[in-house]
Amino acid sequence: MNILQTLILGLILGGVYALMASGLTLLFGVMRIVNLAHGVFMLLAAYGAFFLFTELGIDPFASLIVTMPLMFLFGVVVHRLLFPRLEGSDRYSEMTVLLTFGMALVLEGLLGFFFTGIFRSTSPAYATEAFLIGDLIIPKGQLYGSIASVVLLSGLGIFLGYTKIGHAIQATSQNRTAAQTVGVNVDRISTIAFGVGMALAGAAGSLLSYLFTFFPGQHWQWLAILLSLIVLGGLGSIRGAIVGALLLAVLAGFVSNAFGATWSTMTFYLALFAILLIRPQGLFGEKEAV
Amino acid sequence: MVHIRRQPSEVGKSTAWNGKDRRRSRIIFLAIALAVLLLLPLSRPIIGGTFNYVMQMTTIGLMWVALATSWNLIGGYAGYISLGNNVFFGIGGYLAGGLLVFLGWSPFLTAILAGLAGFGLGLVVGLITLRTRGPAFIIATIALLLMAALIFDNWELMGGSNGLSLPLPQFPPQWTRVPFYLAMLAAAAGSVLLSWTVAHTKLGLGLRALAQDEVKAAVLGINTSRYKIIAFALSGIFPAVVGSIWGYSLTYLRPSIFFTIGIAAQMVLMAIIGGRGTVVGPAIGAILVVAVNEASVAQLGSSELNIVVTGGILIAVLLFFPLGIVGSLRKQGRLPSFLDWD
Amino acid sequence: MLELAEVSTGYDGGPNILEGLSLEIEKGSAYCMIGPNGAGKSTVLKLVGGILAPRTGSVRFEGAEVGGLRPDQLLQRGICLVPQDPSLFTKMTVRRNLTMGAYLETDRSVIRKRLDVVFEMFPILAEKEQQSAGTLSGGQQQILLLGRALMMKPTLMMIDEPSLGLAPQAADQIFEVIEDLKTTGITLLLVEQSVERGLAVADWAFVLDLGQKRFEGPSDQIMSDPRIRELYMGKAPTIE
Repeated sequence: MNILQTLILGLILGGVYALMASGLTLLFGVMRIVNLAHGVFMLLAAYGAFFLFTELGIDPFASLIVTMPLMFLFGVVVHRLLFPRLEGSDRYSEMTVLLTFGMALVLEGLLGFFFTGIFRSTSPAYATEAFLIGDLIIPKGQLYGSIASVVLLSGLGIFLGYTKIGHAIQATSQNRTAAQTVGVNVDRISTIAFGVGMALAGAAGSLLSYLFTFFPGQHWQWLAILLSLIVLGGLGSIRGAIVGALLLAVLAGFVSNAFGATWSTMTFYLALFAILLIRPQGLFGEKEAV
Repeated sequence: MVHIRRQPSEVGKSTAWNGKDRRRSRIIFLAIALAVLLLLPLSRPIIGGTFNYVMQMTTIGLMWVALATSWNLIGGYAGYISLGNNVFFGIGGYLAGGLLVFLGWSPFLTAILAGLAGFGLGLVVGLITLRTRGPAFIIATIALLLMAALIFDNWELMGGSNGLSLPLPQFPPQWTRVPFYLAMLAAAAGSVLLSWTVAHTKLGLGLRALAQDEVKAAVLGINTSRYKIIAFALSGIFPAVVGSIWGYSLTYLRPSIFFTIGIAAQMVLMAIIGGRGTVVGPAIGAILVVAVNEASVAQLGSSELNIVVTGGILIAVLLFFPLGIVGSLRKQGRLPSFLDWD
Repeated sequence: MLELAEVSTGYDGGPNILEGLSLEIEKGSAYCMIGPNGAGKSTVLKLVGGILAPRTGSVRFEGAEVGGLRPDQLLQRGICLVPQDPSLFTKMTVRRNLTMGAYLETDRSVIRKRLDVVFEMFPILAEKEQQSAGTLSGGQQQILLLGRALMMKPTLMMIDEPSLGLAPQAADQIFEVIEDLKTTGITLLLVEQSVERGLAVADWAFVLDLGQKRFEGPSDQIMSDPRIRELYMGKAPTIE
């Protein structure tokens, strides 16, 4: 594959990765927790899209209208049920991470039980078609996915920048105590942020369903990839997630060309360790005070 | 204010015994337990037919004691959750296995080498990932685990995903299980001893302080990075040791034996159920979880629902018994002396 | 307006900082709390501001019990805390920081009107309207904090160490601003390290020590009382 082809494909895929990672980094910004269940929530939505496609013939893009609100509600319910009990406890951030770990295990098991470990994928027509522009082959499915990501991320940007709740989320993310001082109900905002993160994971899941084959145990790999790129971009920064996603997706594409597809995931892991060595706060993150 | 949970033995005031009696009863209990464990291999005439099963189960239990207790050094004392400690487990297995296959060295001897390798790897990874405060560490441990799985899955020399067969040990058939049992017992004892030592030194105090409030600990002059890195490196020793023994005992190595998140989950669960940050908590948790697993697999068979149960129990413990068995008992003042080693 | 009755509280499972403290504040006046470090002055503000909850005793505001309420709930009743820790949204513009102050207000025209009042009172903020709050100088940031607090239309404004970390000139400026605030009819409760400035702007003073109120009285009396001068003002470290 020539260089331009690899570059374009990488950028397109990077757009999708950015969408996948956005919910994860948003939640970290607001609640300062790493949601280890993010990958499994994505797969949950992917299985949902798969179900809708195979049983009811609904296209994955159309199913977005259903999966996103449902995932939002699911996120709100899960957050309200589990997290308030840990409020004010001794080692809050550890406990919440472990809680999300437990959630991930439970969901992985349930998905495996109901759907078994068979590799699944939805197969709308565009998943296997491509546009031909000169010498370049641009797979339709991936392009559509990328466009959807751009739309959704823009929507997120508008939400965060121009609505009252969006401002409250940004404020809580930047300075929790200050947000409290101006009257933001930071608990409610955390719940909403959790729901929004889940909705974004839900959208990503719909895209995942036709872009990749998936099985329940796979969520750890997805999680590791997404975590690596948000650390690169800077935990909590959506801009960072986008840049990190584009950079690493392109890089992984070149690695895949040179060394084979098996090693492309290695790119993400090595990038993680590299950024921790060189600039631990990530590209857009802030240096720790102590 | 930094609250360092130092538990003088006086804390058991609610029982009728005073400190000196508690110490004595603890040591007596330890002596009895060690004696039973050491003499177990000789019990074949008493136990009869189930001897092999008992040997195997105790060997596995001891292995998990070592794994969970070591995890506790970084996950419990320092409060830094690691989901990749089984990388040490696997490195130990593959290192010893490789040396056996290619050089003929017995894993019983190379286990020590493996322990050192585990320490070294922990040091290197710790130096990269533990210089900051945030969740970078847990993320890195996940990446480390998946990296290891990827590498070993594709490393032809070591058998790739199909695995590597190891030569069978040359022991008389009646006693084959005994050397493995004794090795695991030594490793388990060693890991608990290490845990106890760390808990009672400046390192342990410093780790507890930074687990409570890292910023305050740093301000008090504790070199938090160094302490964390040492704890992580120490946590790599015994998993590597038991990994070497375990691989040999299975007579084959495969990445899926060592490098799965499920194993990491078990370590976490055991330490938390038993009592994170205590000396014997993880050991209690390990014994409990192994026993319950065995019973439930016998009853219900193995399926995806097993991880649902693991995750469910973890969530339940976090929400309702965050201090674990030892921690909750201590808080209520009802901790029996033989569990009170902190 | 505000009554603390025998309150005790502390941080995060630690010992009591306040031990059975009682004090009363009347509407429309300016009050200052002084005392040695660790006496509990900031703790009182955090307690009334909802960051801490009382362990014993009660906090009553305009007749109603408010101990243990969340900061946003207290804000709706008109209690506003300007804390000591840097609490600006450093990545937002000056204007956005100010409008965030009016977060609980839903009527946009009201917000715009308050914004105009604040810009008039603090022309420096109007000048730097579109700048990122993190790029302002220390003194300007403090003014922004006070401006943001005003946007909340509070009836009781509590300010924790307004001159902390500021050069003398900037500190003087801040206190001029606080004098101006008095004319708006707001009730002020200050904690101030620089005793002279604090007592100059306040009508009434409380002297706190070891978590309790030791003395109180009109600020000029407190300022000139030789006992109090010796006990508390000689020891006050000056951070300059």
